Formats: sequence, structure tokens, C-alpha cells
Amino acid sequence: MARKDDLLGISGIETVIGAGVVVHGNLTSEGDILIDGILKGDIKTAGDVTIGVNGRIKANLTALNVTVAGELDGSIIADGEVTIRETGRVTGDVTAAGLAIASGGVFSGRSISQKPRGSNHSQAEDQEA
Amino acid sequence: MYYYIVNPAAGRSQVKGLQDKIRGRLDQLGIRGEWAKTTGPGEASKMAAAAATKGHTTVVAVGGDNTVNEVINGLIGQENVAIGIIPLGTTNRLATQLGISSWQQASEVLAARRLTSYSLIAAGQKYFLSTLTLGFETDLDKNIDTAPANLQARLGQLRAGWGHARNYQTLHCRIEVDGQFELECNLFSLAIANQKFLNPLADNQLIVTLSDHPGHRLRLGNYLWQMLHNRAVPTPEDGATTRFLASRVVIETKPTTGIMVDGKVTSRTPIAIRLTDQSVRFITEKIVGDFKDAIGPKP
Repeated sequence: MARKDDLLGISGIETVIGAGVVVHGNLTSEGDILIDGILKGDIKTAGDVTIGVNGRIKANLTALNVTVAGELDGSIIADGEVTIRETGRVTGDVTAAGLAIASGGVFSGRSISQKPRGSNHSQAEDQEA
Repeated sequence: MYYYIVNPAAGRSQVKGLQDKIRGRLDQLGIRGEWAKTTGPGEASKMAAAAATKGHTTVVAVGGDNTVNEVINGLIGQENVAIGIIPLGTTNRLATQLGISSWQQASEVLAARRLTSYSLIAAGQKYFLSTLTLGFETDLDKNIDTAPANLQARLGQLRAGWGHARNYQTLHCRIEVDGQFELECNLFSLAIANQKFLNPLADNQLIVTLSDHPGHRLRLGNYLWQMLHNRAVPTPEDGATTRFLASRVVIETKPTTGIMVDGKVTSRTPIAIRLTDQSVRFITEKIVGDFKDAIGPKP
């Protein structure tokens, strides 16, 4: 039988950037991305993006859902939800269907609400934090 | 018509003792064919190419990973020829990854003739199918006995591997990915494979996995055990892990280091590694289990 176990450490996430890694350039993907390292460039994916607690990102980011537990300097465009965790810090505009900021999380920028993909597309500027 | 290329030196010459049994079983299964023995390195490639020219539609490598890789390299561009494996080598990673673990099972698989097509990977001028590694594993392979004869030797091997891992100096590594981004890090180990080889339902694409340090004790022990016992290519999955898909990567390291393809050191960094449009058809075991957690677009 064919083996299903992960000889190369496969899990559901397509792209993982570890804590000790520095990336320069544009990350494009069809799947989920987890970044716990340093990245300068843009990120575009049809999946979710998670920025880990060690992540330091200077990038504009387009994704389905975004979770930030590290630092992001750049704008976010998400079809779904953006979540800023307790340790997260976002400096830049967020365009998304929803934005949640945990206690301790820092958001500096404009939040623009956007209906999820599949509904009538309209935008409304909510607030400036 | 099946053409069997036998490496009589494979697996400490275990082929000699098994050949009659194997041939008997293949006869029973109705896949008797022509048998040919190699006499030295590189000969399996020439024999495979000659077999394709003579019109054989199935070439079976009887041996280990080296024999299979030679057969693959002899059949580049011969996409009408299927490749089979009867794993009798010291290392049989390719067969293991195709779900084949013994000559008995291999015989059944050959008779069933389920074909899966895989794109080949080029590392410099050499083509390969399964896994390329550099870093710790490649270094370890040079320093310890990779085929211990008994449990005591295996434990000694594990101890040696442990000591080697604790003292291993990581490399500084720079990787250019598809001309889109560049990645810099310290490197403990790196592995590149065709993700379809790990998950037959996924697209052909390079999956690059690297680790910048060996991880904590338990993880390192598990990593070494898997690597030395299964001869597979595990990578510790934790904060030290980086993984991505690509079509072409260019790898530079400081200092320069050896690159191992399916257990054999073949070249050194810097090197360009790319997924090619050349493919081979392998006779594989049927796909069982679910691959829902595997990466890549869902089939």
C-alpha cells in the first residue's frame, strides 16, 4: 500500500516559513501560509495566512483569512476574517469581512468592512483606529 | 514484455539466494520475462535504454535505489516504458515510498500493473525521482555505517548519529525560489522531493523542506531513529521547519556541501534543482488511506 505518513513533514499547511528564516520577495500560493520568520515583500494566496509570534512581516497581504500573532507592517485584504491575537501588532489598513482584536493586540490603521466573497460586493469604511 | 535488470551485488548479494524463488513466483503470476545482470556501476542505465530500443514496454529494476535510479536515467524520454521495482537493495527508499516493501509484494504489484506517472527532478545534469538531501543527513551518511547488521550495531549507529547531530555545524544557506523570492537561513537539513511521490493525489511539484537546527532531544532522537531505521527522510516539524512548493530552486551554501540523491552523493552546492517536463511511469501499489491532510490543491 502507498504510505500516507509524511516523509517530509507534510501537514495541511502548504507554505511554512520557520522562525530562523529571512525571505525577500513575493510569496504566491494556492494554499495556507504560516510565517514565523522575517519577510519583506508581498503575500498573495487563496488560502489563509497566519503570522506566528516570531513573525516580522513587511508586506501587503491578500488572503482568505488572516491571523496575526507577530508583527505586520502593511495592508491586509481578506475575503474572510482578520484576527489580531494578544501578541499581534498590525500597522496598516485592513479590508475584510470581519476584524477581531484580542486584548493586548495592537491595530494602527483603517478598517474597511467588505462582504464575504459570494455576497453582493460592497465596501464601507468603518473606523480609523 | 517484461525485462528484469538484476544487480547481483545489491543488498549484500542477497539477490543470488532469492533469484530462483523470485523467478518462480513471477512465472506463476504470468509475468515471466527476459533477465539480465549488471556487472558494474552505470550499466543498468545502458541496459534499460537498450531494452526500450528493443521494444520492451516494462523494465524492472531488481536491486536497491542505485539500480532504480540508473534505470530511470536510462529511460529518459521513453514515456511508453513502465518501470517496476523488486526491492532487494541495502536502501530501498523508492520502493518504500511507492508502497512496496518486499519482493513478494513487488511481484504482485508488477502483475497488477497499476501505473502512475511522475515528473522527474533534475539536479544539475542528473535526473531523479524521489528525494534529494543536503546538510546533516548527507554528512551523517559519510560518517557512520548506514546498514548495521544487528540490533547492537543499530544502537551503536544511533549513538554515533546523536553525537554527530549535537556537534554538527549548520551551514549558511541561500535559496532562490522560482525567481520570485529568496530565502536565507542557517541550515541543519534540507530535503527536496516531488510532492506527488509523497502523495499520489497531488500535482507534480517540488516540495522543499528544511530545518535550521536539530530540535530538542526527543525530537532529535525520533528524527535519527526514523532516518537510520527506515532510511526515509524525516524532517523535524516544529518552529525550525520551513516548507514550500516550487518549480525551480537554486541553492547556495557556505561552506559548499555535498548533495545526496536517494542515498548517493552526486554533486555539490551551488546547484539548480528543477521539476522537468520529462516523466516516468511507475508500476505502483494501489493508493489506500486518505491524503486529506496532504498539501497542495485538493484533487
